[in-house]
Amino acid sequence: MNSETRIQPHWLSKSLAGILAGGLLSFAFVGLVVWFGPDGLKGTLTSSELLWKTQFNMWLIAPVWLLILSMTFLFKTGKQAWGCLLLATAVCFALQAGLRSVL
Amino acid sequence: MKVRADVLRTYQTLHTWTGITTSLLLFIGFFAGALVMFAPEIDRWATSPEKHMPAIATERYDELLQKVLMEYPKAADSVTLHFDKSLSPVSWYEQGNGRGLALDEVKWHGTLNGDGELVTQLVPVNTLSAMLDMLHRTAGIIGEIDHHQAGVFVLGVAAFAYFIALVSGVIFLLPTLAKRFQALRQDGERKRFWLDGHNLLGIASLPFHIVIAITVTVFAYHDVFYGGLSQLYGDKPMFPAPQQQKIERQLTDLPKVSELVAHVEAHAPGYTVSYIRYANLTKPAASASVGVVNEEQLMRGALNDYVFINPYTFKIASSSAAHPDQNIWAKLVSAFFSLHFGSYGGELGRWAYFLMGLAGAGLFYSGNILWLEKRRRKGTQQQRSYQIMGALTVGVSLGALMGIAAVFASNKWLTLTSVNINHAYLFVYYASFFSVLGAAFVYGPARTAIHGLKLLALLCVIVPATSLLAAVIPATELWTPKSFEALMVEVISLLFGVFFWLLSKHVARRALQNEPGSIWYLKESKATSGISIRHTV
Repeated sequence: MNSETRIQPHWLSKSLAGILAGGLLSFAFVGLVVWFGPDGLKGTLTSSELLWKTQFNMWLIAPVWLLILSMTFLFKTGKQAWGCLLLATAVCFALQAGLRSVL
Repeated sequence: MKVRADVLRTYQTLHTWTGITTSLLLFIGFFAGALVMFAPEIDRWATSPEKHMPAIATERYDELLQKVLMEYPKAADSVTLHFDKSLSPVSWYEQGNGRGLALDEVKWHGTLNGDGELVTQLVPVNTLSAMLDMLHRTAGIIGEIDHHQAGVFVLGVAAFAYFIALVSGVIFLLPTLAKRFQALRQDGERKRFWLDGHNLLGIASLPFHIVIAITVTVFAYHDVFYGGLSQLYGDKPMFPAPQQQKIERQLTDLPKVSELVAHVEAHAPGYTVSYIRYANLTKPAASASVGVVNEEQLMRGALNDYVFINPYTFKIASSSAAHPDQNIWAKLVSAFFSLHFGSYGGELGRWAYFLMGLAGAGLFYSGNILWLEKRRRKGTQQQRSYQIMGALTVGVSLGALMGIAAVFASNKWLTLTSVNINHAYLFVYYASFFSVLGAAFVYGPARTAIHGLKLLALLCVIVPATSLLAAVIPATELWTPKSFEALMVEVISLLFGVFFWLLSKHVARRALQNEPGSIWYLKESKATSGISIRHTV
């Protein structure tokens, strides 16, 4: 394996990418679940459903964020980690905005 | 399973760093957490039996509540009926509110005597289990940020690293997983035994650890998560608006306790009511929070599920108890909490969580030992990081154990003095913790461990020995366990004592056999041993 395909350490930039960009991505992803997942905000919820679904949504952020963070170190470089995570975040937010205006 | 070499190397480094930075915090959190599984039993053990007032028949609770509200009008603001026979039938706060670790709270306990008269006494609230819970949630880190314990945020950060440590541990074990899981090699290098033990513990309890890492993250940062979530919700409300109550309430209209119990138990079939906490009974905002128990359900609280109900109209505001109309989200959220608290499966579930908590502490400790063994050079000259981590590993883990044991050992004796026992607990814990930590740096890990473990064993044995003394000399105001649960606290303490004594023997044996340079190494001659133990670098 030559050094171009091998994973570079880039500990600091990858850690920050996982925490900051990964955090944003987890919120962006959960945003899609919040609006368009089962019992989403686009439908009508009873007050009991709203009460518990919101708590569930909050809980969902943690495992998604932790998974993204722990997988961030598989990116070849720190730059790539930042790029991919931010791009995915933008896609999720754009999808949310688009779907919210259409549906 | 094949994993690319660079991936393995990356995750091995991650595992090392995330592990070594969080292991000692997690050690304290897990050990204290294991004990907190038996919080009610520990509190019952900690206070003299005469502080608990005799139970009454279920049908007499109406009469009891009426008399309390008549003789103590202040109780209408907040009063709790306990249906658990080991607690006083009624209690309310004279001072404090029972939230968090407050050291100066005083509670009224009450019951009815044979003639139907209300009997009450003022009892300072004992915080032994609340202090253990504080250690569990903060690892003993002192300080507050914005009215939240700073240690909770620190453990929240640790939970992120801990999750990475779990994922990375699994990834770099994948190639040899099946082979390693079955092996606990005692031959060959000593390191191997620790390595196999660490892997075995880690893989076997992986689901438990994943649950703990995720839930701790949520417990520490739920405010932050809700803050972010509110941005996603936009104009939509996150929670249903609370209904404003405007109707003035009078105690004469209050329905019977038995009716409320029947209503709640009909709402959640299979549950029994363990307590009712009435609040603001004379105000429009009158409410009751009802603790309900069903061991066959995953319960939202550490000990029970919750039903919030209007005590006048019986309209249920919200309920975490499993009931026919419960939606899937409520079930899932309750499950998340329950998987952390171990509040399912009754006694067996609690013992399992107790053991998994102890095993978790063992996992983190063994990780540190592996870190040290890997960095040990040949000969007596060692790196500074090796020496510091060696002293920290023994100092922090043994210090926390010593602190907790010292609190238990001194508990009954402290009640003989006039000091505020809750302040004394904290003083005893932190004094013990920092003494051991200091000793580990001054006298080195080996000697601290050998003598410290003996002292620790002694403290553990003092717990049942105190009761023995109380039985032999009734004139002391010490007391013997009056319930099976309280007796078990002392039996477990005795078992811990035996275990730590054997451990001390084991460390002493190793100290003389080990190679120079190991943190466990001691020269046989006492006169010269100081040289190799003190920090020479």
